[in-house]
Amino acid sequence: MSVYDFSAKTNSGEEKSLKDYAGKVLLIVNTASKCGFTPQYKELQELYDKYQDKGLEILGFPCNQFGAQEPGSNSEVQQFCRRNYGVSFQIFEKGDVRGETAQPLFKYLTAEKGFKGFDKEHELSAILMDALKKHYPEYLEDEGIKWNFTKFLIDREGNVVERYEPTTSPSAMSEAIEKLL
Amino acid sequence: MVKVYSINNCPWCDKVKKYLKSRQVDYVECNIEESEAFLAECQALTNDEAVPVVTVDGKEYVLGFDKGKLDALLGL
Repeated sequence: MSVYDFSAKTNSGEEKSLKDYAGKVLLIVNTASKCGFTPQYKELQELYDKYQDKGLEILGFPCNQFGAQEPGSNSEVQQFCRRNYGVSFQIFEKGDVRGETAQPLFKYLTAEKGFKGFDKEHELSAILMDALKKHYPEYLEDEGIKWNFTKFLIDREGNVVERYEPTTSPSAMSEAIEKLL
Repeated sequence: MVKVYSINNCPWCDKVKKYLKSRQVDYVECNIEESEAFLAECQALTNDEAVPVVTVDGKEYVLGFDKGKLDALLGL
């Protein structure tokens, strides 16, 4: 079994098999809403700009399972939403990524690569832990997705190589991506 | 005529609309996800696709939920 066994609907409603990405290096990410302060979109787009020509595809799966309050966000900073996500990589339909209602792809990804903890050096780590303990303590007890912007790196054969928590900035993943390209 | 450009599931658009209602400002909602024409208008005005955008004359506009700027734009 590999990620190529799954399919998903794009945000324009078109059914897309992940087989279509065979031979590419993939970064599969559960993304956040179109509103709020989500700086990782920008860094993901930067990765895409840098490596698309060499065979990287980024697949974004929006999900609103993680509360309206995004940790580390100051809702006063950005009081607007965007029609698009400000990115050119593929965005899929909104859906669940954890628990019973999770999309099969995410059940597979989290079974392949479990939770190994947050990067405590990252500024988001403490805020995220607090938010989880306060609002979603049960999220901490399994291997499931903990928050927006959990990233799975897939090699050119469809194998799940690595899982990166929201506390890893996309820009810090360049080296691992380059290795697979 | 006051126009509010919006998208679906946009809490800031809802806040702007609620605020305008509370100040008895009549407005027309222009959803840029549901109308290509509204999208084109909004892009021409702001050179972006961020909403809510409020405009009276189609030249000056306010992006986002900013009461101070809305009051200034609408003369409230």
